[in-house]
Amino acid sequence: MLDTIFFYLFALLTLLGAVLTITRRSAVHSAISLIVSLVGVAGLFLLQRAEFLFAVQIVLYIGGIMLLFLFVIMLVNLDRAERERQFSKAWWLALACVVGVGAEIAYFLTKGPAAFQFPPGAASPGVASAAAGGNVERLADALFSEYLLPFEMASLLLLVAVVGSVILAKKRI
Amino acid sequence: MNFLELIWLIPLFPLFGAATMLLVGRKLDPQAASEVAVAPGVEPAAAGSGHEHGHGGGAKFLISLFCPGMVLLSFLLSAAAVFQLSSLPEKTHQVIQFTWLAGQPFHMAGGGMATFAADWGFLLDPLSSVMILVVTGIGFLIHVYSIGYMAHDGGYYRFFGYLNLFVFFMLMLVLANNYALLFVGWEGVGLCSYLLIGFYFHKKSAGDAGKKAFIVNRIGDAGFLMGMLLMLATVGSVRFVDVNQALTSGRFHPEIAGFGVLSAMALLLFIGATGKSAQVPLYVWLPDAMEGPTPVSALIHAATMVTAGVYMVARSNALFALTPETSLIVAVVGAFTAILAASIALVQNDIKRVLAYSTVSQLGFMFMAAGVGAYWVAIFHLFTHAFFKALLFLGSGSVIHAMSGEQDMRGMGGLKDKIPVTFRTMFIGSVAIAGIPGLAGFFSKDEILWQVFSSPLGSKSVYVVGIVTAAMTAFYMWRLMFMTFYGASRADARTQAHVHESPKTMTVPLMTLAAGSVLAGWIGVPKLWSVFPEGFRTFEHWLEPVFEASAARAVAHGVAHHDTSIEWLLMGLSVAIAVAGILTARHLYLIRPGLPDAIRKASGPLYDTLLNKWYVDELYDFLFVNGLSKGGGALLSRFDASVVDGGVNGAGWMTRFTSRVSIWWDTWIIDGGIRLASFLVKCSSYPVRIFQTGYVQSYALVFVAGVAGFLLYFGMR
Amino acid sequence: MSQYYTATDHFVLVPAIMLALFGCAILLFDFWVFPEPKQRKWLLAFLALGEAFAGYGLWQQHTYIAGQGIAELTAFQGSLVVDGFSLFFNWMFIAAASIVALMSYRYLEVEGEHHGEYYSLILLAQCGMYFLASGADLITLFVGLELMALCFYIMVGFLRSDKRSNEAAMKYLLLGGFSSGFLAYGFSLLYGLSGSTKLSEIGVAIARRDPADPVLLLAMVTTTVGLLFKISAVPFHMWAPDAYEGAPTTVTAYLSVGSKAASIAFLLRIFLGPLASARAAWEPLLVFAAIASLTVGNLAAISQHNIKRLLAYSSISHAGYMLLGLVAGNETGIKGVAVYVLVYTFTNLGVFLVIVALRREGLVGDNIDDLAGLMHKSPGYALLMLICLLSLAGIPPTAGFIGKYYIFLSLIQAGRYVLAAAAALYVAVAIYYYFRIVRSMFMSDAEDAGAMETTFGVRVAAALTGLGTLGIGIFPEPFLRFAGQSLIR
Repeated sequence: MLDTIFFYLFALLTLLGAVLTITRRSAVHSAISLIVSLVGVAGLFLLQRAEFLFAVQIVLYIGGIMLLFLFVIMLVNLDRAERERQFSKAWWLALACVVGVGAEIAYFLTKGPAAFQFPPGAASPGVASAAAGGNVERLADALFSEYLLPFEMASLLLLVAVVGSVILAKKRI
Repeated sequence: MNFLELIWLIPLFPLFGAATMLLVGRKLDPQAASEVAVAPGVEPAAAGSGHEHGHGGGAKFLISLFCPGMVLLSFLLSAAAVFQLSSLPEKTHQVIQFTWLAGQPFHMAGGGMATFAADWGFLLDPLSSVMILVVTGIGFLIHVYSIGYMAHDGGYYRFFGYLNLFVFFMLMLVLANNYALLFVGWEGVGLCSYLLIGFYFHKKSAGDAGKKAFIVNRIGDAGFLMGMLLMLATVGSVRFVDVNQALTSGRFHPEIAGFGVLSAMALLLFIGATGKSAQVPLYVWLPDAMEGPTPVSALIHAATMVTAGVYMVARSNALFALTPETSLIVAVVGAFTAILAASIALVQNDIKRVLAYSTVSQLGFMFMAAGVGAYWVAIFHLFTHAFFKALLFLGSGSVIHAMSGEQDMRGMGGLKDKIPVTFRTMFIGSVAIAGIPGLAGFFSKDEILWQVFSSPLGSKSVYVVGIVTAAMTAFYMWRLMFMTFYGASRADARTQAHVHESPKTMTVPLMTLAAGSVLAGWIGVPKLWSVFPEGFRTFEHWLEPVFEASAARAVAHGVAHHDTSIEWLLMGLSVAIAVAGILTARHLYLIRPGLPDAIRKASGPLYDTLLNKWYVDELYDFLFVNGLSKGGGALLSRFDASVVDGGVNGAGWMTRFTSRVSIWWDTWIIDGGIRLASFLVKCSSYPVRIFQTGYVQSYALVFVAGVAGFLLYFGMR
Repeated sequence: MSQYYTATDHFVLVPAIMLALFGCAILLFDFWVFPEPKQRKWLLAFLALGEAFAGYGLWQQHTYIAGQGIAELTAFQGSLVVDGFSLFFNWMFIAAASIVALMSYRYLEVEGEHHGEYYSLILLAQCGMYFLASGADLITLFVGLELMALCFYIMVGFLRSDKRSNEAAMKYLLLGGFSSGFLAYGFSLLYGLSGSTKLSEIGVAIARRDPADPVLLLAMVTTTVGLLFKISAVPFHMWAPDAYEGAPTTVTAYLSVGSKAASIAFLLRIFLGPLASARAAWEPLLVFAAIASLTVGNLAAISQHNIKRLLAYSSISHAGYMLLGLVAGNETGIKGVAVYVLVYTFTNLGVFLVIVALRREGLVGDNIDDLAGLMHKSPGYALLMLICLLSLAGIPPTAGFIGKYYIFLSLIQAGRYVLAAAAALYVAVAIYYYFRIVRSMFMSDAEDAGAMETTFGVRVAAALTGLGTLGIGIFPEPFLRFAGQSLIR
């Protein structure tokens, strides 16, 4: 019961923050709204007992990435940005499309909640993680054993990202 | 030496010539720097008379020796191989180099497994031997002719390069041992034809004509390709020998009434043939193709490439024999094309256009013959036609050469004595095509008419169309002769002063072809002329093994017996009608030259319709060019074109749109109905433009709309 | 080596390690050892070395598999797999990356943006492609896709002073991220449906489900959308014309063959693997996307004046043909797709190579009129372009015919006559715009007499692409056999 209440609370927070992010004229307001939204997502993670994701969400997204956003916002010319049009003329079309897709996805998901039943025999991830001694440990275990390869590939991805940002941003290489 | 094993070398000589010319030819040709390809026959002032060919010196001479030499080598090798073939008992020889397209075994549409393989292989049999001799023999003569004709044009090396490349592909086409490899040559000759039609690219019409030829052909090619693949899926092979065997083995039942997979196959192949051989409805490109240099018209658009469709249908005779209804379509299309083109040729004034429509008409005759199951006659007419039509084209080239590039017959006249060699040779050609006994055209055309009349697949109405067309043929050819060579000259003084006979390189091929036009028919003398021994009917017997399958089916169909008196009567009729055509032309254009004008005035709209080629080009333009390419292309490019400018200024979109609307409105009002199709398409692009503001968001919007559509599809299901 | 990194794992990973290693080495050497602009050719040598080592690794895998007579070799608990399919595509990537590198050197000099990082990005992107072709796990595939895509985002915007390049990179990045979102959503649903990220296990789980299961449909649609975006199929193609036009031409070449081939490999892995049992559901989607791609690609290309934009639309239409092979679904069709991709790689690289070779100070070379009179200036390149355009149009005896031939044949064998006829007719439309280029080259005067300045590398690349395009067309047998090995069983 409490879980349900918290779920709707965090979900509302997430959605509200997201809507505000794209509708506020002031970039600073947008960024702060985004933080609100991300906090909501973090709460949702926690509700699912995904403690690690919760921590990452708080530390990385809200702590790191958002701070960077705010720095960038401080550096650009806000006055001009505020005078720009926020939406293209076809916003109603975009809204219709998004609502359409959202409704369709919701339709499919509600039509078949049974589809999420795991095949008999396979333990649900939540139960399994509890058996392995908690979500964080289980994640660490998987990351360095079963998902060793993607983990290493991600490091390469980050390298490329760094190289890219240097190339694209620096005046003289 | 076993030349039969060397037939794969036959196409390689011209390929070598082409590769040399196209890759290093530019360094050989001193004139190449200027690269000016002037209009046909127009000589640069400095060039003087045409008697001295080539002022480019040794290099040009080398090209003139090299390229025709390559074709000559092919011809000699072909002749040797054919000679050896004639002594073989079964008269076919395949040389398979390697497997080209192979596949795993698969289930055929009709059940059963098949493993197909298309080889890089060559087949020499009576049919292909006729074709290679025509291609290399007449090809060689036209190469020689070109030495003189193209002497003053820039891009000499390119011209010969393309021409050699053409001969290569044409030889691939006729020597291939399967449909897939035939398709290689089929497309290749189309490409060369495109390049050569557009050779005088300074004339815009030349480039357009090339494009038209290629695109119209591609429509036919799509048919051919589908037919071939359908054959692969049904018969399980594309090798001629295997296909013939499968079709005659009794595995497939003849589709006498109704339309089955065999009919679809035959019809698709025939669509391919209508493209390449310029039949209704895809004939429109051939007259325009006359924008190319005259030797090209003679070689590609009269003697060889355009007959590829006839060759292919003859090659597929076993298939067509099983589908009599499709054969009937072939005959009817052929007859319709023959009379349509002949009627247009009656009133054309451009000397090459008359010949072009004449070619279309004669190709129609060949299909008439093929359609009634007389394949050997179709090939026979192809053979004789190659001589006299090449001769007529080259002769007209010589006339154009003499007239300093004038092609309109209304500006000619009285050339008889000024260019006697051209006149005499063309005279022979015109007699031959008109169907006067003793010359090549008579034998083949009369045989076609007889077969159409007498064959169980033929019909009397097609015969009537044929005989009327024959009369028209005699008329328009002699109209051409009288307007060009007889009467008083209508050219201006400067041109008249310049008239001269062409150089030896041009007249010798003319004379050779004239000899061919006289003699070529004598290997297919009608059975009726029983005074001649069987040796005079070599052609039919030579081709017999190829058309065994269809002959067997024709026999099964029941052979109608006709009295020899009817045959004599019909022969007399066709000769009489030819003479009548010639005499009418003489009366109208020589004796009473005022009469044609009077007729023109009296007939009014009919004359205009003929002069405007039944308005078919306009119709096609309206239907396809405006509707499809301009309209559809404009819609879809507008879909993104505005992104570039729209990205800069999305807000200006509305103003631009309204201004564009007014521009459309003007053009729509002015151009009326022709623009209607494209206007509708443009209108339909309006909703598209709403999200074409140039922002990346609009792209995302299309993306999301796509997702929504996909999901909706499943939601609604 | 632990149980999580066994000798087999290493063996399977070697080519990727080599690509990444030399990619990083180029970054370092560019900075420390070869700082002078003239020394950059050594970086090219490094790239060649990287490709050689990767090729050696592949070759060893090849011989090992053939020697053991096994169909596949899995590693990392089934995350990576070496089979005929992955080998086929990886060989192709090596060819594509090498040819692109060969033609890049002079081009980047002319553009004034010659940096060592470029070569490093070529290798790292190829590393991503390696994972796309060999991945058998959702996470591996996804990270591989992002690795490749990220490299391309950077390379598309490599001409930093060029507005078009920047704009293209931005659009590509945003839309790429957008599509990745859908793909990730689809993947998460697939995981939810099966409780595993391994393709084989997902396949088993899906086969047990009702094909009309709504969540399965949702997972399939979102996955399909993400994949179709990558191969630029309509209606997810909108990024392609802008990205192709704005990117440096060499990158456009790499994007059009490398990224497309890797994405096709990815798409085949997903559709013939886990989603194979849901064929009835996804087939209509692919039919729609294929026909729409053919229509939009071919018709919109007609009115383009910029060759790169024209080729973007042409590439959209080729995506349609490739999808048709998958739609036919029989052995001929799948093999046809593999052959088609191979052919397309060589052919398209050849076309772009000529455009790259045209580029010099004062001539961008991406307008159709820039090619005017090329036959009279440098017949060799004009003939190469002609051959490649004929191949794109599917005219024998060039390689393109072989590709189209197998696609059409597979459709006819599958009894899909209407699709086959439509596809064949679009070939006739395609000829219209390809021959606008031919007409410009062969039937107009050169507007400037400036000769083409080519380097040894460009000439080698020209020879490779020309030989590939003609060679596969005339002697396709070994290539067909090679492609036949690539079938996923």
